[in-house]
Amino acid sequence: MLRRGDSDPETLSVSVQVLTLSLRRSNHCSLVRSMAPASCALCQNAKAILKRPKTGQQICKDCFFYVFETEVHHTILESSLFKPGDRVAIGASGGKDSTVLAYVMKTLNDRYNYALELFLLSIDEGITGYRDDSLETVKRNQQQYDMPLKILSYDELYGWTMDAIVSQIGKKNNCTFCGVFRRQALDRGAATLNVDHIVTGHNADDIAETVLMNIMRGDIARLGRCTMICTQGEDTIKRSKPFKYAYEKEIVMYAYFKKLDYFSTECIYSPDAYRGHARAFLKDLEAARPSAIIDIIHSGEAFEVREEVKATQKAQQTCIRCGYMSSNELCKACTLLEGLERGMANSVITDRARKKINALGPAPDSLRTIPHYRSPLPVVSVEAPSHS
Amino acid sequence: MSSCGNPQSTDADELMPRRLKFGRSRVCVRCRENPGNIVIRHAVYCRDCFSPLVTMKFRKALQPAINASAGTSKRPRLKAEGNLLMAFSGGLGSSVLLDIIHSTYFSGQPPVDEDGNPVGGKKHPRNASVWPSASVCYVEVCSAFPGMRDRTEEVRGAVEQYPSFEFVPLRVEDAFDKSWWEQVGGAPSAFQLSVDLGIGNLSLASASSTPPDLTPVESMRTYLASLPTPTAVSSAIQNLVRMLTLHAARSRGASHLLLGTSLTSLSIGLISSISQGGGYATREELQEEWTPSGFGSTETSRPISIVRPLRDVTMKECAAYAWWNDIKIVGRDKSARAIQGIANLTKDFIVGLEKDYPSTVSTIARTCAKLAPKDAPNGNCILCQRPVQHGIQEWKSRISIRSYADAKLALAAHTHPSSQCDPPAQPLDPMPSLTPRLCYSCHTTLTSRSSRGLKTTGHLPAPLPVWSKQSGQSEMRDAIADYLLDG
Repeated sequence: MLRRGDSDPETLSVSVQVLTLSLRRSNHCSLVRSMAPASCALCQNAKAILKRPKTGQQICKDCFFYVFETEVHHTILESSLFKPGDRVAIGASGGKDSTVLAYVMKTLNDRYNYALELFLLSIDEGITGYRDDSLETVKRNQQQYDMPLKILSYDELYGWTMDAIVSQIGKKNNCTFCGVFRRQALDRGAATLNVDHIVTGHNADDIAETVLMNIMRGDIARLGRCTMICTQGEDTIKRSKPFKYAYEKEIVMYAYFKKLDYFSTECIYSPDAYRGHARAFLKDLEAARPSAIIDIIHSGEAFEVREEVKATQKAQQTCIRCGYMSSNELCKACTLLEGLERGMANSVITDRARKKINALGPAPDSLRTIPHYRSPLPVVSVEAPSHS
Repeated sequence: MSSCGNPQSTDADELMPRRLKFGRSRVCVRCRENPGNIVIRHAVYCRDCFSPLVTMKFRKALQPAINASAGTSKRPRLKAEGNLLMAFSGGLGSSVLLDIIHSTYFSGQPPVDEDGNPVGGKKHPRNASVWPSASVCYVEVCSAFPGMRDRTEEVRGAVEQYPSFEFVPLRVEDAFDKSWWEQVGGAPSAFQLSVDLGIGNLSLASASSTPPDLTPVESMRTYLASLPTPTAVSSAIQNLVRMLTLHAARSRGASHLLLGTSLTSLSIGLISSISQGGGYATREELQEEWTPSGFGSTETSRPISIVRPLRDVTMKECAAYAWWNDIKIVGRDKSARAIQGIANLTKDFIVGLEKDYPSTVSTIARTCAKLAPKDAPNGNCILCQRPVQHGIQEWKSRISIRSYADAKLALAAHTHPSSQCDPPAQPLDPMPSLTPRLCYSCHTTLTSRSSRGLKTTGHLPAPLPVWSKQSGQSEMRDAIADYLLDG
């Protein structure tokens, strides 16, 4: 865990090692260690102490904070993401992206008078040794940023924890379950908070990787929407990515220099081989030319799915079982849950396998299902930060 | 076998069979007689059926692009509007391309009468070739790489196997050679257009700061040396070769330029282009029609279709075709492969991925074929002649702040956390900039730096290829007229 909130020398030493590893893993952008101290390329006054991964400029710490925050502000303004009085939930996992997002959203909200009501929304997937620890970080963030926090668990919503799912299906494909369940859980959690908007910490690296992944696996529907900053289904809450143009390395830098408190362990169940290939490739591209990440996003924004292809795509409908948006009669979450409940979880990953399970007959009446989704629900009371 | 969940069964037929690398049988899926010799994505083909399969895919990709108007006929007689030019690199794909074009369209002899003349006369439509003439263009790039061997004569030898094809050798430095430019019909010009790549806004260099007369090789090397990354060098060379080939096609009155890009190379090119910001030109990467402008006669200004007839044939299929048809492959020098740029990284990645996920290359090509550019273009790029998207610079300055001179930032400057960081005054740049005339990819090629910092090349202005003068000559000449000391 990376904690820079205190001044314990041992913790500080570990933190510096973690940051150095994070920043130097693939290339040389990082803290400036040149022989002669250069002046900041932006303000020309202060001494440059870091090289910006995104632009390669050597700049001072204050200018780094300023340009990082201002670029996020530009992203928010350009897309008119919010209007005054909006209730906004920040998807908080305790990791670096969501922690920095919560901090920056609070900073910009105060600096530019967005007049937003901010909440933290966390999903507890039920992964012992990972999520329980990271949620402790989120609880500290709740105190530090003085925001209400709502935690919704898979166990509460689906009757299954990820630990239980992995014990049934193994590690292969478990990310499919986790991803599908989390998307719906975030919407349901947001509905209980009665918010207008969910913001997530997806960064530029995530988006560039998704553009490449969607091209390589031919997912034309997702390719068309993965570079959109804001997505909204007919029946779902608006969801945005204010860090769409923020490099992962800069997020780590920001957290380090601001001494933010975040949880830095990788998920213990994440062996997604194909995505791993794409991520490694992206890191190689970034090392060859740092602008590659932003160049891929630009490419993704420059094209769209041809009209005649769009016409062949499935129209969105509502799941007959839980009422959530779906491209089939049953939404993906209900399909996966049925597979788990019937002990045939591996049979519902693909459409072809789904047909096989259908051939075995209808689902039994006693099957546990996801509660019906209604959006938005009346405001509920949430755990308020205690000022101790 | 209790683990299969069917403990009662002892019948071997009821057990789940292992998935084979090939389909249901080892017999050719086409003739259903001969034993298979090659497996193409789980389908088995014998040697006899394999070559017709490749040529069928080839013709299917090429022939719809040959006739400008096929009318209502389902099988129109093939007749191109102009000549044919094939780009040849000496590699696998272009060698297969030459062989198939020759055997399909140029080797057949029309039936002859008693005197040995074609029945119906030489000009009878039945006896006419699809293209009146065919040329093979090879661009030698050895001047761009120190120590690389000149292979023009080897390539000439390979092309001479096909007597119907005329050999057109070019050199990459021709892109900076005024005499070559005039030879291919370009307008003569006295001034050299150069750009200062050391400055962020790509100012055009004035006559006084332009380097003295350089030979074409020196100009090309100055241009390549001033580029900021290995990726940019590799991309610039690729673009020079592409543009030289296009102008060669134009000057020879070609209506079709054929490239030997296999499905694997096409997918690599698509991912590489997207990774360099070329998403707006994805359609052009697949199939392109180039209309030259500013050239006198109609014959040398007609649109040229750039077709990749091997776009449905994988590299593995090309290799098998070349092996079984005894096609001589000259091969390509390894020096170009040594550049650790995005193009070569992409090649390594896709070729590696294809082993574990064999359908990836075809998925990439099929997915990209479903895409279209979002907005109408804003003219053509001065360097690559591909469409330019609107608002590129606004987009770049919004997402990456590189100076405090931006008006939006000036407005927000009062909120700057550090009192020491006042926006510094930016010096006014009097020279016009190349930036508005570049597409996103070319602008990134010229400006995007490596993580290792800016290359120091002494800030000599970099000469631009000869066609960039043609593209923007009048506007640019007007813009810099005051700074030119001579004609």
